[in-house]
Amino acid sequence: MASTRTTTTTKHQNPKTPVRIRAPLTPSLTAGFNALSLGGSPTKRRTHVQDLAGNPFLSSRPSSPVKQATNGFVVTAELQRQAGQGVIRRGGFESRMEVVKLDYFPDVQPKPSPRRAKSMTRLGPDDRFLPRARGLDDSDIAAAPMKPFHPDGSPRHVARLAEAVGIPLNQRVLKYHEAPPMPSADKDLSQQRLHARALYQRPNGTTSSTGAVTNKTRKIPTQPERVLDAPGMADDFYLNLISWSSTNILAVALSESTYVWRADTGAVTQMADTPEGTYVASVSFSNDGMFLAIGLGNGDVELWDVESGTKLRTMTGHEAQVACMSWNGHIVSSGCGDGSIWHHDVRVARHKVCELLGHAGEVCGLEWRSDGDYLASGGNDNVVNVWDGRVGDGGYSEEPVMTKRTHTAAVKGVSWCPWQPSLLATGGGTSDATLHIWNVTTGARIHSVQTAAQITSVRFAPHKKEIFTTHGYPTNSLMVHAYPTMERVAEIRDAHDARVLFSQMSPQGDVVCTGAGDENLKFWRLWEVPKKRKEKSHRTLTGESILKLR
Amino acid sequence: MPPTKQARTPQSISLKGSCDVVTEFFKYSVNTILFHRGVYPSDDFHMVKKYGQTVLVTQDLALENYLDRILKQVNKWLLTGSVTQLVVAIIARDTRITLERWVFNVTVHESQSNENSQTKPKPEAEFQSEIRRILKQIVSSETFLPNFEDPTVFNILAYTKDSADVPAEEWVDTDPLAIEAGKSQQVKLRSFSTDVHRIEAMVAYRYEE
Repeated sequence: MASTRTTTTTKHQNPKTPVRIRAPLTPSLTAGFNALSLGGSPTKRRTHVQDLAGNPFLSSRPSSPVKQATNGFVVTAELQRQAGQGVIRRGGFESRMEVVKLDYFPDVQPKPSPRRAKSMTRLGPDDRFLPRARGLDDSDIAAAPMKPFHPDGSPRHVARLAEAVGIPLNQRVLKYHEAPPMPSADKDLSQQRLHARALYQRPNGTTSSTGAVTNKTRKIPTQPERVLDAPGMADDFYLNLISWSSTNILAVALSESTYVWRADTGAVTQMADTPEGTYVASVSFSNDGMFLAIGLGNGDVELWDVESGTKLRTMTGHEAQVACMSWNGHIVSSGCGDGSIWHHDVRVARHKVCELLGHAGEVCGLEWRSDGDYLASGGNDNVVNVWDGRVGDGGYSEEPVMTKRTHTAAVKGVSWCPWQPSLLATGGGTSDATLHIWNVTTGARIHSVQTAAQITSVRFAPHKKEIFTTHGYPTNSLMVHAYPTMERVAEIRDAHDARVLFSQMSPQGDVVCTGAGDENLKFWRLWEVPKKRKEKSHRTLTGESILKLR
Repeated sequence: MPPTKQARTPQSISLKGSCDVVTEFFKYSVNTILFHRGVYPSDDFHMVKKYGQTVLVTQDLALENYLDRILKQVNKWLLTGSVTQLVVAIIARDTRITLERWVFNVTVHESQSNENSQTKPKPEAEFQSEIRRILKQIVSSETFLPNFEDPTVFNILAYTKDSADVPAEEWVDTDPLAIEAGKSQQVKLRSFSTDVHRIEAMVAYRYEE
């Protein structure tokens, strides 16, 4: 802007300088022509100058350029034609200079205006050299309304555009000299906001003094219903030392001895002692509750009659401790420390009917599906296997129907869903602490929940769509998760003084018994047994109830 | 003589009042645009009860001062009737391409003094509800306006008359930050009017297939 204006002034002072335009025109026009003559192709320049010089009106210029301003300027037909045709060609010299005066001529007769400071007002409507928004040098000067906004904007396009966006001709477009302040994008601040957000968020439930967290919609007792002393109970993650039968008898293994606690009467009897030099690694009731299998540290599996309290047989063969067992009819499956799983047929002398080899580490969790179609096993090698339950004619199998290596720690918690047979829940140990829900039919992982501590056991609630988990260090908690939302329904922190290791569901499905390294057994009434439905609802759709409705 | 004087006094008051109303409206609409279009982070804004509804207004001091300075000048221009259009342009920060133009046309009612004395002044509640509707429309424009993927900045343009007094070194002539006609979509918003001014709102946005 400054340079243009300077040239203008020079022209005024020396009107007789050998420039093709001898007559100083109005300041605005001169400015435009000066811009033209500042550089570029000489041929182009000549053409324009000749056109203008050929205008007779221009030669008889008014004596006072300032007073007259553009009053005397007549838009010649030639100029209008040029303007109409779009003289300012794309990429041409003029467009580069962005002198667009020839394109536009005001209809109104602008009033003569005295010179003022450039920031005050303009001299005339066509004297609008406006800096671009980010124009930094003088070459970037353009007349705003007619400036080509786009590299391939022709003058006509620009004119249409100007009309379209409603750019007025007798107006100024002004902006504040400062750019608006940048948003305070402080990285640290946004980081802090991110971290602080958790503090403002309402927690799922408030932490009470007992460390219990419960959902508003569901209250669970935070204190155990009953506590039994279990002196000598081993604090070993890999063992499974309690079992609750369908006849409401709880078997507890305390180092060398197995005790039976009848939940109905509260009577405790010592049932079995192990042979010298070994210990009980697992206990498991048969499905009918008549027999108790006891897995020993030396690899033997003993079979006891619960009613009479006598040992029926000992099934030998395993090389290492049998830390988990599960029953399916007359088959008791035992998981061994060497990673093998055996099916023992308790009826026959040659009890080992099948061997499943799918774990490189100790088998920690083992559970049959209630219909006996599948057996799920979790190992210390972080693998979850699902085996076909059909027992062949002896031999062994290395081909589980499903193998999952998603867990990153030993898998002890394994549980089949009672109300949706395809669902299997597994929970990982310390470095994993994740609960995974699998669909065994499709092999897909449906849900995953990260928990605070190692998962030592997983149970599906039989009467409610919930999953119960027990945890070890550091929370020693019991948790109830909703299914399928996987929301935490309740958490009882520090349920035991040591890590909670074992859990068993009562046959009715309302109470959970937990055992821990603090040598206590605690009973938690977490669910209600639904009232028995009336007979009517059991009737078929063609029954009376429907007819009555009509 | 006295009656004419009396007649003039309320008119001058209503002019000033109207200017204040327009300025205030402009302030809240700019804030609403800046918040809802995500030009500034949303936690820079706090809720203010205005026009019988909650409006989000910036808490960023620098931005507040910046808007104040602009609005002060806009108010002066409104008083002299020299501003014809106010534009909030939203520009891509890196490419400097204009993405949106929120245009507020300001027109002064051509009312003769005697005519004005006959017509009843517009009740405040009426134009407040009109303003409320415009602000709501700005908020709901979010539904059809394209999302900005890159950071944006804004600029406020004032279209003034030739004769306007422009404070030197504070306001400078600029390019109108227009959007190419072929790539621009325009949506007219509601308008509101006081006794003196009429504000027509419009949004033009860049829309490329």
